[in-house]
Amino acid sequence: MKKIIFSRYTKYILLGVVLALMPTIQQMGFIRSATITTFGTIIFYAVVAIGLNVLLGYSGLISLGTAGFMGLGAYLSTFLTENLGLPFFVSILLAVIVPTLAGILVGLISLRTQGMVLAIATLAVAEVFRIKFTQWDAFTGGFSGARAEFPTFFGFEFDRDMTFVFLTVLLVLLMIITDNYIHSSVGRAFLTMRVSEAAAQAMGINLLKYKLMAFALATAYAALGGALYAHFIRFSFPDSWNLGLSLQIVAVIVIGGLKTIMGPIVGSIIVFGVPAIILSRLPVIGDVDGLAFIFNGVLIIIVVLFYPNGLVHIATDVKKLFRKKRTEV
Amino acid sequence: MSTFFQLIFSGLETGSIYALAALGIIIIFRTSRTTNFAQGAIGMFNCYVATVTLINLEVPVWVAVLVGMLTAFATGVFVDLVIIRRAQKVSSVAKQIITFGIIMIFTGLAPIIFGTMPLSFPRFILQGSLDLFGASISYNGLLNIAIGLLIMGVLFYFLQHTKWGLAVRVTASNDATARLMGVPTSMVTMGAWAIAAALGTLAAIMHAPNISVGVNMMENVQVNAFIAIVFGGFQSFHGPVIAAYIIGLSRNLLLFYGSSTWGEPILYGLILLFIVFRPNGLIGKKIVKKV
Amino acid sequence: MSNINALKIENLSIAFGGLKAVDDLSFHINVGEIYGLIGPNGAGKTTVFNCITQFYHPTRGIVNFKTSSGEVMDLVGQKTHNIIKMGLVRTFQNVELIKDLNLLDNILVGAHIHFKTGLFSNAFKLPNARKEEEKFAQKATKILEFLGIADKKLELAGGQPYGVLKKVELGRTLMSDPTLIVLDEPAAGLNDTETLELAHLIKQIREAYQCSILLVEHDMRLVMDICDRICAISFGKKLAEGIPEQIQESADVQEAYLGKKE
Repeated sequence: MKKIIFSRYTKYILLGVVLALMPTIQQMGFIRSATITTFGTIIFYAVVAIGLNVLLGYSGLISLGTAGFMGLGAYLSTFLTENLGLPFFVSILLAVIVPTLAGILVGLISLRTQGMVLAIATLAVAEVFRIKFTQWDAFTGGFSGARAEFPTFFGFEFDRDMTFVFLTVLLVLLMIITDNYIHSSVGRAFLTMRVSEAAAQAMGINLLKYKLMAFALATAYAALGGALYAHFIRFSFPDSWNLGLSLQIVAVIVIGGLKTIMGPIVGSIIVFGVPAIILSRLPVIGDVDGLAFIFNGVLIIIVVLFYPNGLVHIATDVKKLFRKKRTEV
Repeated sequence: MSTFFQLIFSGLETGSIYALAALGIIIIFRTSRTTNFAQGAIGMFNCYVATVTLINLEVPVWVAVLVGMLTAFATGVFVDLVIIRRAQKVSSVAKQIITFGIIMIFTGLAPIIFGTMPLSFPRFILQGSLDLFGASISYNGLLNIAIGLLIMGVLFYFLQHTKWGLAVRVTASNDATARLMGVPTSMVTMGAWAIAAALGTLAAIMHAPNISVGVNMMENVQVNAFIAIVFGGFQSFHGPVIAAYIIGLSRNLLLFYGSSTWGEPILYGLILLFIVFRPNGLIGKKIVKKV
Repeated sequence: MSNINALKIENLSIAFGGLKAVDDLSFHINVGEIYGLIGPNGAGKTTVFNCITQFYHPTRGIVNFKTSSGEVMDLVGQKTHNIIKMGLVRTFQNVELIKDLNLLDNILVGAHIHFKTGLFSNAFKLPNARKEEEKFAQKATKILEFLGIADKKLELAGGQPYGVLKKVELGRTLMSDPTLIVLDEPAAGLNDTETLELAHLIKQIREAYQCSILLVEHDMRLVMDICDRICAISFGKKLAEGIPEQIQESADVQEAYLGKKE
């Protein structure tokens, strides 16, 4: 039993160690400083994506409100630390709880009927948020944006690299926690619901309760990701929290791999890392706005049609292919 | 009283835009079981085509509109042939995800091809208005309402009274049976995508003079069109259209008499509450799920 | 005498848009009985079945059920997901298992109502959550042994032969400690040997788990082979009820299945 648990967590911890070493590697001069920022971005978007995967991957429900709830988390945490002077830890907790409660309210209304009503209701909610973000200057700073600081723990101020390590630790913890409940009666209920709502009901699974739970989880992770965004990028614009961002998060989990914990990080590297690190350096076309969007859009469609399990499985599939060939020879 | 009628007229105009967009979405939903979230993006893209045609070739407005709708038609055919047709075996959730991919492609392409500066598209009729019940309504507004009603009239006539309309309705009710009966369902689906794209583009072009032609121009229209579909019910073609007009009207009234900043959220909230009590919408029939 | 009925249905009726799918149907199942519900295609078998398990809510009638705790209760109007808590569990015609999970996990889904720990305990693997998972994993392993597929315990459900999947689905129902199992056309898709094996298994389940079984079936051989009593219906109405021999000899049943003799 010990062995199983050990091997199940190993990959998350390994990933964490590699990521946490990056600032040191950067100081030694092997990678650019901007790469750390890019990877920080990859991490908080991966946090959001892990949450959306609980909803879309495991439970088969679509939300288009991800960016809206991220924005709410970002502005709340900024407001609470900057304007009210609350401790970082308290702010981030409130910045997760409040959007989650809002999400539960939306879910309570929209999850009672067909699945796609959630997608449409969250689309509407996100649109309302987007407009409110631009109108509500006192809270969001309007078009001039809202500025936040790096986290502070008990009077100790983090710099960028420490914040990066903090993000990494949080990511690994979330991966382990998510892995735990996905492999319990809760996760099995999600999966059963996804396969067949009738079978789930016959097994005593209360559909509304578990759909609501999945949506609340997705919302909480999104809000957390938003709050982390605020304290790592240290600036939030109302225009950032648009439908395009929600779609990019969907792209992260579809490309990385639905129903996996590692998929979101792989997807996040492809969706947010590749455009920033590789595409933007291409001659001529690299400067063009929208190239990343086309890249991700095309990739989503290709993956859904031809490799529905996601790119996280590529390594094992290639291995399998080689093994097969060897035995054939 | 004149303000009230003014609001009713502008509500009808907005309603026409929502109704055209909603009709496009429901036609695709009914014929290929796909909730097409890319309706707005395709409309936006081809509205750009019309605008650029107008600016660069200096053609009359109606020619530009025609060009935009024709490219939209082609876009619909292309999307169906290249993508949707290959996705027949994937789940409905996966199909929705594919439409997300389509949105990303078009919103990525638009700034590359047309630039990032917002463009403007003029009204069909630049000036002049009609005084009715003390309210003044522009000829352009009247034209928009008339175009909306005319196109929907033609489409409903087509659906109810022609051989092709019958094929669409049969495919909508059961595509497997329709195929067995010799209905060319793949042609029907392709036609649905083409017509939906053209409808979405027309909605975008009618909406364009109120705002400006930009990547996000259709987001608000798309939200309202989807809300109209939820409100009107997924099971009929006319339900969402009626709902779109109701939303157009009540939105304007709420924005004016209620709250200019919270009118829309309140309306969405009310509609979502409505479907808690009537899950199948205004016109929906109760469907018995087979288990 | 009513307390010996595992299930007693009285005057059950349901109509869809004016069409009466089930019309004033009454029958009862004794405790420990294997009871068959048969009828030609479109006779309303599945509708009856869905009315019992509350997937449909009947327009009229009573579905009295003797729950695990021994009291008799009318199921009509109960929430669909609460039915299993009373001790009544069903299977599906097209086996609804989770392909991405192994057989053990699939069986564990059947114990959903018994799990007391929630999201929080499981997220942090608290001792109570761990203990609970361990306890039910053992129970599930026993069931897999009983079904003779314990060696495949950790294999994924996707890719298993149909016969194995059917067994897993039966095993999943056993996890809930049912007093009545309702099987929806269990023989559909099975070949002759597999059907024989299934017949044997159903009898074994009754002995080992002390429950009653309602079989809704199309396959006459299976029904005639294992049922203590049978009810034949046609167009939502009862044609005949009795032991298998009586049903076989019933002229009404023959007519419903084979058509009127000229």
